Amino acid sequence: MQLVLSWPVRLLIIGLLLFSLFVDGAGYWYRIANHYPLTGNVAGLPPNFGGWQLYFHKGLDLAGGTHIEYQLTNFPAGQTRADVQQKTITVIAKRVNSLGVSEPEIRGAGNNDRITVDLAGVTADQAQKVIGAVNRLVYTTWVKDDKVTGGAQAGYKPQLTGLTGDDISSATAVIDQSGIGWVVNIQFSSHGADLFGKLTTDNVAACPGDPNTSIAANCAQRHLAIWLDLSPNDIANWEDTAYASKVSLNYDTACLATATPTTICPKMLVDAVTLQPILGGNAVITGGGSGGFTQQAAQDLATGITAGSLPVDLQVLSVQQVGSTLGAQSVKLSIAAGLLGLSIVVLFMIIYYRVPGSLASLALLFYAGVVFATFKVVPVTLTLAGITGFILSVGMAVDANVLIFERFKEEVRAGRTIPAAVDAAVRRAWPAIWNSNVSTIFTCLILAGVGPNAVKGFAITLLIGVFASLISSIIVTHNLLAIVMAGGRFRRPSLMGVDRVRST
Amino acid sequence: MLRTETSEAEDDGTGVEELEEQPAEEPTTQLKAVVPSVEAQLAPPRVRKIDFVGRRNWYFAFSLLIIIPGIFFMAHSGFKLGIDFAGGTEFTVNFPSQPSQAQVEAAVASENAGGTVISTGGGGYIIRTLPLTPALQKGFETDLTNKVGPYELQQVLEVGGTIAGETIRLALFSVFLAAIVILGLLTFWFRNVPGGWRAGFQFGGSALAALLHDVFLLTGVFAILGTGLNLRIGEINSLFVTAVLTVVGFSVHDTIVVFDRIRENLRVSQRLSFEQVVNISIMQTLVRSIITSFTVVLVLVAILVSGGDTLKGFALALLIGIVSGTYSSIFNAAPLLVVWRRLQPLR
Repeated sequence: MQLVLSWPVRLLIIGLLLFSLFVDGAGYWYRIANHYPLTGNVAGLPPNFGGWQLYFHKGLDLAGGTHIEYQLTNFPAGQTRADVQQKTITVIAKRVNSLGVSEPEIRGAGNNDRITVDLAGVTADQAQKVIGAVNRLVYTTWVKDDKVTGGAQAGYKPQLTGLTGDDISSATAVIDQSGIGWVVNIQFSSHGADLFGKLTTDNVAACPGDPNTSIAANCAQRHLAIWLDLSPNDIANWEDTAYASKVSLNYDTACLATATPTTICPKMLVDAVTLQPILGGNAVITGGGSGGFTQQAAQDLATGITAGSLPVDLQVLSVQQVGSTLGAQSVKLSIAAGLLGLSIVVLFMIIYYRVPGSLASLALLFYAGVVFATFKVVPVTLTLAGITGFILSVGMAVDANVLIFERFKEEVRAGRTIPAAVDAAVRRAWPAIWNSNVSTIFTCLILAGVGPNAVKGFAITLLIGVFASLISSIIVTHNLLAIVMAGGRFRRPSLMGVDRVRST
Repeated sequence: MLRTETSEAEDDGTGVEELEEQPAEEPTTQLKAVVPSVEAQLAPPRVRKIDFVGRRNWYFAFSLLIIIPGIFFMAHSGFKLGIDFAGGTEFTVNFPSQPSQAQVEAAVASENAGGTVISTGGGGYIIRTLPLTPALQKGFETDLTNKVGPYELQQVLEVGGTIAGETIRLALFSVFLAAIVILGLLTFWFRNVPGGWRAGFQFGGSALAALLHDVFLLTGVFAILGTGLNLRIGEINSLFVTAVLTVVGFSVHDTIVVFDRIRENLRVSQRLSFEQVVNISIMQTLVRSIITSFTVVLVLVAILVSGGDTLKGFALALLIGIVSGTYSSIFNAAPLLVVWRRLQPLR
């Protein structure tokens, strides 16, 4: 093993060390640079280095929040399950965004038939209402009512048409024929197509004076509005100007999901003018004006229309809600336990193995630094089990050192000089360290690949730990030992932990 | 392992012969006597030689003494299932008013949701009910406030029954796959000992047996704790599955260290019997095995004592598994190798 005292190896270690110091210290550096207090929650965090965010991603059991696992049922025919799952994720993401959660995690799972949702700082109740909400999409026409003064069309109030989200088979954002602007394509089911054809025909007939080529020229009766959850009760209140104006604002799913009977929520999706009778069941909503919709606006509208009806039914498999105090408490306890365990291990190593033990403890610090940095960069979402996995991997890092040091003692007793004994010990302990760690790596890979979901994150933290422990125990400890041995001062066996076994 | 100044001069670096030539002291038979031998390593008048291989049947019997009752409980009454396997709704709450358990139980019973109440001390309770819909859950929470008092809702867990089966199926599949891979890896690594691939397979197979020993011992102990003694810490949940799978990794880790020493000693000492080589190799790795397990055990005990409630069962499972892994690598895996070698001689 040409690992000792060779410059490429040392540079690698120094590089890793600097990298870890940077990543681990990034938070503090950022706080100092921006004059934030060094501890506690501060607005403006996590630290951001040119778009690169470095911080521990805490799992819900540490941060507090809600985890829900959904089973998708009632898949629509004619679409692949993967597509439907993706579409459902988009809808859920859209709905969840309205909650203002930082970093919501919405993932596909299972055999394209599961979705897990992780939301920090949201109660299960809120989350389920927003995600599982069955918003009813309705179309209205406008009818004259002189008492109406507010809302989207002054002097007119909406009238339900019987055309609902159930009649829409898809809504997608596409680039229009000119290739510049974005439009939303709506496809109706056959029942919807009939109804929509009749509505648009009536619409155009209602304002015969309008030239159908001009968007600017329109009358209220020629508009079709799309709403979420607009109820007859809302329409009855339309003469209240404030009420009508509020409801006519762009829809808000979070408000709708958590609404009590007295809340007034914005409900309008779009209020579009009908240019001509549309009979085939294919409608296009354009943005109006010359530019049309932006891509974002078109996609938002399309998602809004489809979000009215999830493509599948969501069945709740499991819900976990962790209070933020419990999370903080768990963090404190596990960090305390980890630190306690680590200090016992370090103390033991120093007392039992003296100089090599102290060097191994230094290597252990290096190890911890590298692992934390990797957790931040990958990023690994830390859970309670993950932290325990890390603490356990410390045991493995120590194990490689113990193997080497025990071997070292034997070699010294066998009459080797101390520097020769260091080399022989590392060389002879290597196969055991290598074989045992490789078997652990394989086990971790199997768990991360095919293991139960609950185990996967844990396996990844353990895997990172095993790699770092190989580097720290073999390369770092060995190099430190070699450097110290070169000094000559520490060559006395008593400092190497060998004295107590002097033979009688 | 230890030698006099004179013997050092003619040493070949393995110390195998010297150790063998020392008169064997009274063999220590019990597991209890093995652990203090760390102290014996520190300042011994002489090296104690422990006959691991010769007394193997005692050690096998000791393992079976735990595993057979464990399997009996597993087969007879199964496991005590945690909420994520049993299904249902679990509320972890804390009442600042510190009501009595009877008070909380009365409130829960009036809900007709099949609730059970577990006290966690200091006004903390875990309440388990049948699966509740969000609306029912809301109602339950409101009723609890009205009947017992205001509380802090620390955790709500709601699980349908379907996940458990899948988790267990995937876990079994992972153990199966890991077992095959480990058998293959060890057979490959140990093919260069005298005896070739067949010898390698004996090493791999013995390691596998030790691994299965640990898995059955751990699950067996938890079956006894859960359904035999009806303790909450013996509940099986997804963290327990994680612990079992971790123990699989650690168990092999320990066994490999012993086997590696056997491989090395087989190479350098031709005049000793296989049995003697195995026994010496166990002796030589004993200190390392005990120190390593000891450090991990220290950390786990720290978690067990001071860690949060959720981690206690996990830490206990890992603790049992790690101790079992060390025991099985010393007392089962290596002696088993000797038994196998006798039944199927290679040279």
